[in-house]
Amino acid sequence: MTEAPRLWNLVAELTYRCPLRCPYCSNPLALRDFPEQLSADDWARVFREAAALGAVHVGLTGGEPTTRRDLREIVRAAGDAGLYTHLVTAGLPIDEAGLVALCDAGLRSVQLSVQDAEAAASDAIAGTACFDRKLGFARAVRARGLPLTLNVVLHRRNLARTRELIALARALDADRLELANTQYQGWALANRAALLPAREQLDAAAGVVAEERAKAARPEILFVLPDYFRERPKPCMGGWGRTHLVVTPDGRALPCHGAGELPLEFWNVRERSLAACWRDAPGMNAYRGDAWLPEPCRSCPEKTRDFGGCRCQAFALTGDAALTDPACALAPHHALVADARSAPPEEAWRYRVV
Amino acid sequence: MSAGLEARLHGILDQRYHHRHPFNVRLHGGACTPAEVRRWIRNRYYYQTRIPLKDGLILTKSEDRDFRRGWIRRIHDHDGDDARAGGLELWLRLAEAAGLERAEVASLRNVLPGVRRACDAYVEFVASHDLLASVASSLTELSAGAFLGERAEAFRKHYRWIEEAGLAYFLSRTTQAPLDAQEGLAFVLEHAQKPEDQERCAAALLRKCEILWALLDGVEWGGRAPKLSPAVQLRTEGDEALAVLPERAVRVSASGRAILAACDGARDVEAVAAGLRAAHPADERLERDVYDFVERMESLGVLVLA
Repeated sequence: MTEAPRLWNLVAELTYRCPLRCPYCSNPLALRDFPEQLSADDWARVFREAAALGAVHVGLTGGEPTTRRDLREIVRAAGDAGLYTHLVTAGLPIDEAGLVALCDAGLRSVQLSVQDAEAAASDAIAGTACFDRKLGFARAVRARGLPLTLNVVLHRRNLARTRELIALARALDADRLELANTQYQGWALANRAALLPAREQLDAAAGVVAEERAKAARPEILFVLPDYFRERPKPCMGGWGRTHLVVTPDGRALPCHGAGELPLEFWNVRERSLAACWRDAPGMNAYRGDAWLPEPCRSCPEKTRDFGGCRCQAFALTGDAALTDPACALAPHHALVADARSAPPEEAWRYRVV
Repeated sequence: MSAGLEARLHGILDQRYHHRHPFNVRLHGGACTPAEVRRWIRNRYYYQTRIPLKDGLILTKSEDRDFRRGWIRRIHDHDGDDARAGGLELWLRLAEAAGLERAEVASLRNVLPGVRRACDAYVEFVASHDLLASVASSLTELSAGAFLGERAEAFRKHYRWIEEAGLAYFLSRTTQAPLDAQEGLAFVLEHAQKPEDQERCAAALLRKCEILWALLDGVEWGGRAPKLSPAVQLRTEGDEALAVLPERAVRVSASGRAILAACDGARDVEAVAAGLRAAHPADERLERDVYDFVERMESLGVLVLA
């Protein structure tokens, strides 16, 4: 048995179902069969085992977790296991009564997605009319006194409204605003030419964020320049198999949302304990620590900060997950990212389908 | 042109000097409790101790003997000499008259972190700016004379429990400050001829007003009552604790746990520190550590201050 680090954060993908069709969804591109979902009892066991491994947080996500009718039971089980229960939702199909039920079951905090700062643009990205309903849900969350994070995925069509997005977060009394630049994996990679912004757009948005941060302490604003424009890779998931574990709707235990696409052997919580899936699965150990690192990462002083970047991005762009993330300017395949930056943008995108 | 600058400087003072700060309005209006008046006296002493350091830095910036001869008087005014007590001594007498212990105030151990930062920022400003901007930053003294006269009156009227002898500092400054201010103003008007220099002088005075404002914000902070945020799940892990919040978990040491336990939403920041002081009589840094911890926990969302 190998020594595994302490698990801190369990990401529970409760379902792939979602009423939204965002063209940057992090779910897998090809869901050939609608995968079997873990039951509420299965999840309860996973939560207990995660807590025993040291986890303190659980993110209940998907797809859209509130499409599950047994979500209340699942929330209660997570709370009973001692985990800090955090719901990651699009704000529908759940309604205020559903929220009240989840609060009674022990829900502690909510992250709500919006796609833009006003209805028409937001609904155009979501692929369905839902903006007004999201705002109503946000108000219900704050009315219950729960911490609210507003999450917006940024791309070339909404970056210009960064200031309006911050104003929206203030109007909704959000505690945190995550301005999350698109990560080009899965659906976002397929739609990259329609989503990838110009550098000037990012610089302008960064300036707006700095101005707005100086104006008021609330909300806390997260804004990180995307790896495509930083010449250095992102420290993906805080390192492979280091702090986070994702469990998919069908029970696979993965180091991140996208790792299921890699040619690696991961284990399933229906067949093994969560501890075994975390500690011993060959896929989990494939890129743990830094012994596996290729050059130029191996001799790079920044390896303790970025862990060589994102394995899924290396695989998606080069076909080899063990190479340096091409987002790094020092990577042999950096041209794959540099060329994408200078490629002409496209207007049309493909909505997510399940 | 100089008349324009002078009017502009007075305009800045009218709008941004700390006479408009809510705490000062309450202090002069008689609305402060004895604990608040003492908190202000104790913390403001740190500002008094920074003044001679700041004036020493200004002396090093001038090649003009006459300028230095004039300016050095400010250091004597604060530090005193064989013949008279200086401003620092008079302030400690004010502290005693208000029922504080001289040694405790002089030790500076109870200075609140926002106050410390504001006062240090003033010394840092003077250290990193040229003579003209440094002198311009002292021009809050243009408002100080009348302001301190008002303050002495307010104390006589509203805080009679402070003996008259304690008010000597305010009275001494009602004559010193206008003299200092006129010298400083004459220097600035003579040397700030170019528009860009006038801009720098206005900016320096504005910055100084912000610093004085932040000092009073820091005083108010000490009167707020911290308690654990309702969003926090506190978990014990051995001697330590984890404060779990959305998207973050904050590790809290055993001594931090003791501070969190004292943050009950009823006691203010100073009372929390005072309560822990009884259990740790020999710890010289205790108050500073408690204040820094509370401030850090507030910034991380672990504590909320009512």
